[in-house]
Amino acid sequence: MIHILPHLPATFLPALLAGMSRDFAMAGMALGMGLAVGLPLAWVGSLRNPIRLVPNAVVQLLRAAPTFVVMFFLINILPHQVHVLGVPVRITREFTVALSLVPYSASIVAENGAEAWRQWRLGSELAALLFLPNLARSYFVLVMSSGSAAAIGVKEGISVILHQADRYPDIGDQLGVFAIGVFVYGLILQTGFFGVMELRRRLAGFVVKRRAEAWSAGSGDYDG
Amino acid sequence: MLWCVSRRGWALLASLLLLLLASLITTGPACAVPVAPTPDAALAQILATVRHEAATSCAQPADRLEAIICAGTIRVGVRENYPPFGFLQGSRHSGFEVAVAQRIAQALGVTLSLVTVTPADRIALLAEDRIDLTIATMGDTTLRDTQARFIRPHYYASDTAVVGPRAVPLTKLAGAAGHTICVTVGDSSNPDLSAAGARLLLFSSPQQLIDELHSGVCSLIAQDNSYFARYFADPTFSALYDTKFTIDALPWGMAVPEAGGERLAIVLSLISEIFQRDGIFLTLAEANDVPANFLAQQRAVWRRPDCDTATGFESRRCVLPPRPSDMAQTRFAGAITAIESWTADHLGIRLSLDILKLQPAWDLIRTGLRNSVILILGTLTATFCFALLIGRALSMHSALCRWPVRGLVMLLQSTPPVLSLVIVASAANAVFTFSAALALAAAILALGLINGGNAGQAIAEAVATLRAEDAAKPPGHPRLAEGTLFTHALRRSITQIIAFLINATKATPIASFIGAPELLNALTDSTSFSSDRDTTYWLLLVFYVAVVLAVVGLCRILRNQLERRIAAS
Repeated sequence: MIHILPHLPATFLPALLAGMSRDFAMAGMALGMGLAVGLPLAWVGSLRNPIRLVPNAVVQLLRAAPTFVVMFFLINILPHQVHVLGVPVRITREFTVALSLVPYSASIVAENGAEAWRQWRLGSELAALLFLPNLARSYFVLVMSSGSAAAIGVKEGISVILHQADRYPDIGDQLGVFAIGVFVYGLILQTGFFGVMELRRRLAGFVVKRRAEAWSAGSGDYDG
Repeated sequence: MLWCVSRRGWALLASLLLLLLASLITTGPACAVPVAPTPDAALAQILATVRHEAATSCAQPADRLEAIICAGTIRVGVRENYPPFGFLQGSRHSGFEVAVAQRIAQALGVTLSLVTVTPADRIALLAEDRIDLTIATMGDTTLRDTQARFIRPHYYASDTAVVGPRAVPLTKLAGAAGHTICVTVGDSSNPDLSAAGARLLLFSSPQQLIDELHSGVCSLIAQDNSYFARYFADPTFSALYDTKFTIDALPWGMAVPEAGGERLAIVLSLISEIFQRDGIFLTLAEANDVPANFLAQQRAVWRRPDCDTATGFESRRCVLPPRPSDMAQTRFAGAITAIESWTADHLGIRLSLDILKLQPAWDLIRTGLRNSVILILGTLTATFCFALLIGRALSMHSALCRWPVRGLVMLLQSTPPVLSLVIVASAANAVFTFSAALALAAAILALGLINGGNAGQAIAEAVATLRAEDAAKPPGHPRLAEGTLFTHALRRSITQIIAFLINATKATPIASFIGAPELLNALTDSTSFSSDRDTTYWLLLVFYVAVVLAVVGLCRILRNQLERRIAAS
């Protein structure tokens, strides 16, 4: 790496990690807001009432909104500052990015939430608990999507990589910087996806064990 | 220079010709070569005439020049927040333009009264007779030339300068492809930078650009070079950053009112000629830390015998023309205006659809729409083709074929889409010269690979399940032939394939990040023509949501047809 990129500053990796942490924070904010919007939609969607069709239409519309376009829309439409109960609150670019990810996160929460609710009612706890790994998976998708924030000047992971690549006139050096970025993102995201699979596996084990215990306690002579 | 002659009045031109004739008479028949009167003589002559007239008609001055002479004061509009051109030091106006105003007042023999103006009211105040002259960082364009009388020669000219850290290797616009440049919304140079393949990051004020340059968010920033003047005067700033290149030269002009401003305009033009020739503008610029390259060139021009005359300011060879900015209206501009009025009257919604009324903006949008459609269709095709290819490769029995493709899919899955797009675009730009078609092709390739990789994986998983089911069949039961297995797998994974086709459609606007001239980029550029961003970005959102819903609907129809055909067979 040092041979390929002789002038790579020592500050690059810490800056990249700091930028990536901003990606994780924006994804976290988006997921939080997605839960706040999506869970009520999921609850209404699971009702045995014609009103359940409304959240379905809302979810379809939310899913049709491209995140990148929503981000540009919000950055140009939202004021830089709003007053909440008389207190001035600055709308940061990071918040705008998180907000642009809400249509995706809210639609995922609403869809998976409604399904989990349905499964829980049917008595399939395991299927209902799949909501958690699905939520975790969508969190990592949000982290990847928050890389688009580089397009509106948020100093996150991708913008740190692009900023560094801009300093090299040679395409070989630029690709070297990109390779480091791909490696670091890949390492963290693959670890995340592995964690999601592990969570799914453990939840399955947990539910099976609880069922076995319940069955055993109910019959009293499971082992014969 | 006919545009000037027709408006400023033949009578004034005739008076200058008379001056020329007078000069010929005074030089006498001994002089064979006619000598044009100097601007100094012409200026003195006009001022003497006006002062003579003013002695009897100050109760009702004939025009603005006479009113100024009668009042003994010239009211000049200047900026108060644009250093080093016009700014407040405490309560005192300072800067290059203020110094120019002082010298003009001296030349006219009157006192100076400064009035603060803004870009929004600097022409309106002239028309309302609240100022006599504006010297307020105003570019001379053909559009503004119809609203006020511009004084030529120009007292300054700015370029859009691209500034960045000294370490960034960039020397010309052609090299900007693939670089991220931070710009302000509505900057007239945005379309040029975008067309060169730069990724534009939009900010609302020039100060934000400077802040983001320092913070490291922006590697390069673009703004009027006059804005950078005070920053480059700071040794710390100039040690860190330099100007990479400049584009779009725009001459700055003083302006006087249309009504009654004819003689004032001629007097100020003659004064400007003298100031250029004698290096007075140059000296004032240097004293105020204003970049003086343009003025040094102009001094050389106005020292030429063909320019240093009483009519030099009318000569095409000596003065710069205004920058063309006239905007033709679209054929349907009237209908759009009617729609704006209707929505305002009946719905209370104030729409500003300038981008649909101005031909250059509409041309941009039309091109953007066409490119977006190409991009979407191309991405859908590429996604489907890559899905088939990758699906086939991942289903092969040979691990040698399978594992490299699996590695590629894993890599694509764990790389943020924006980064994948930038990598493909950078590689393409390294091999070929940047063009709009190249950016579109790179975007189609990258988006096709990302989504096709995922869809291909779904196909391969379907193949694996079919093989497992086949293997579990008791002996003697018919098994799927290898040739039909893939078709069955396609049917089984159709839901995922459709999901990734929709994802691919939704991802197409990201292509704007690598300079692909699709609708998002076109609308960003169109903000150079219209200050109203709300309507522009509403249109963008509605367009993309409609496109995605159309693709979803289309996929649903195709899927139903496929299922019906399977059921029938």
